[in-house]
Amino acid sequence: MEVRIEEHPILGEVKKGRKVKFTHNGKVMEGYEGEPIAVALKAAGVDVHRYTAKNHSPRGVFCAIGRCTDCVMVVDGEPNIRTCVTPLREGMTVDTQYGTSAEPFRDELREAN
Amino acid sequence: MKRYDLIVIGAGPSGLSAGIEAAKSGANVIIFDENARPGGQLFKQIHKFFGSKEHRAKVRGFNIGSQLLKEADEAGAEVRLNSTVLGIYQDKEVVVRSGEAITHYKADAIIVATGASENMVPFEGWTLPGVIGAGAAQTMLNLHGLLPGKRVLMLGSGNVGLVVSFQLKQCGCEVVALADAAPRIGGYGVHAAKVARYGIPFYLPYTIKKVEGTDHVTGVVIAKIDQNFKFIEGSEKHFDVDTICVAVGLSPMSQLMKMAGCEMDDNPKKGGQVPVIDEHGQTSVPGIFAAGDVSGIEEASSAMIEGRQAGIYAANYLGYIDDEKMNEKEASLDAALDGLRQGMFAPSNRGKKIEKTEEGIDISENLLAKGYVADDEIERFPGVIRKIGIHPVMECTQNIPCNPCQDACPKGCIKIGSKITSLPVVDQTKDCIGCGMCVASCPGQAIFLLNENVGDGMAEVTIPYEFMSVPEKGDKGVALSRSGHPLCIAEVVSVKSSPAYDKTSLLTMRIPKEFAMKARFYKSEVLAKTV
Repeated sequence: MEVRIEEHPILGEVKKGRKVKFTHNGKVMEGYEGEPIAVALKAAGVDVHRYTAKNHSPRGVFCAIGRCTDCVMVVDGEPNIRTCVTPLREGMTVDTQYGTSAEPFRDELREAN
Repeated sequence: MKRYDLIVIGAGPSGLSAGIEAAKSGANVIIFDENARPGGQLFKQIHKFFGSKEHRAKVRGFNIGSQLLKEADEAGAEVRLNSTVLGIYQDKEVVVRSGEAITHYKADAIIVATGASENMVPFEGWTLPGVIGAGAAQTMLNLHGLLPGKRVLMLGSGNVGLVVSFQLKQCGCEVVALADAAPRIGGYGVHAAKVARYGIPFYLPYTIKKVEGTDHVTGVVIAKIDQNFKFIEGSEKHFDVDTICVAVGLSPMSQLMKMAGCEMDDNPKKGGQVPVIDEHGQTSVPGIFAAGDVSGIEEASSAMIEGRQAGIYAANYLGYIDDEKMNEKEASLDAALDGLRQGMFAPSNRGKKIEKTEEGIDISENLLAKGYVADDEIERFPGVIRKIGIHPVMECTQNIPCNPCQDACPKGCIKIGSKITSLPVVDQTKDCIGCGMCVASCPGQAIFLLNENVGDGMAEVTIPYEFMSVPEKGDKGVALSRSGHPLCIAEVVSVKSSPAYDKTSLLTMRIPKEFAMKARFYKSEVLAKTV
């Protein structure tokens, strides 16, 4: 589903930055420079940002303004980065966060295999 | 350590207003905000504001944001972004984090204008990706040009839930239903009517029983609740959705004030933990003031006035303006604030069931339960008249502090009078010229132009239109009723837009005259295939 709005009825044409490449779990994706990482991910169809430490349950964006911290991910190797308020830059590595690490839990690994 | 006369925490409507007033008085002011851009939530507010001209009514929120920024700049207030205030310590010392750097600041007065954060309610599946705050939906839509989902269920019928449902529709999302645990719609009837005109059903008193999905929302079950908030067996309704928007109120973000040692009050009418403030917005700690939602949840217009007042009080506290000047400025702002706090939605009426308008007219029960005024109720309101020739019909049926329509009419056809909450009345002795300024000026989109007889058994209805792909003259579609029910074929006879209308197009449709008092929305033919 195309989720980007090209033209808004009130705001007019939606301004976008330069198109840049970044990686999500190793896969190359495209987004616009300066937009929140979470926006680029959502446009690419990624909703799960992390799995919780205790129950391994999936989390994504909730507040989108940097308050709830539900959307944190491992960005350029650093965990707990609020993707909804962190601007996207060329070449960023964005990884799903498991607990506080980019290393999947064992059960998730098993499922993947 | 850096010194300022005044530190303002938060660059939203109240913080900016406070900084502007204090800087104008000569104080050395710095405003901190944790966000990358200033304006608080103003830049996602694309609807026209309520109130009167002095409160910038009928101006869209984001335009007000730009005006405030310009004003702050001209007044010389420094705005520091990406700067999170971590704490307020003794002697008005403040610690600010900006990136990796932590800096100490000290001021002689502090205004806290940190606003509010969204509430949440727990239900099965509430943590699944796809369950988002209504504010998040608004941020995605209006700041980042992104649809939060394709099929959305909105929980909460306060103004936020209503306004965001409308904004989702404006961008092409489908809103499958609006549910609220309260038995009545909480927000303005005019906002509800805009949503109902699309045919979006309201479920009251219903709430979410569970959200389905493993890694993302795939569906939702809502059910009716009884007086004890227990689900009523057998009342479940299922919807296939990919997104749940939660709009269940706001809570003041008053942690910094608590930290500063201000006396606090747990006040449900104000939305939660708020600082105790005196008549000058001053907390129990001398020189620390509070303004906007942090001192009680209201809306942006009153936050701006409270902010200006706090700026004046702080300037007085700092010795930049004398008591006489302060009192003089305060009096006019007090009057403005008082004006906004009148009517059915006044903070003092929160939670009360209002049965009659200030004019003594029975409130539309249908509006409170289903979001639209029923056909047999509409003509009891003074803005709804029948007359030969073109004339305005104002479906404004609640006492809301708002009067731009009165100023908009160049011919003086519309009267509200000096009491800003009064229902608008059509002066039938004045001749309407059909300019449509009233239609475009109404923040509630509750004004229509009617010509009940244009010959050949036809009538013409002009509606405000703010959606993608504006129809063109000659297009044929379907006229919808107030409840979004298809009535008849409608032909577009004109679509007007003008800078004065501020992005609201005026669409005139021709329909059989028996539908003149019923048709209130136009659905284009492409969409009409689904009706």
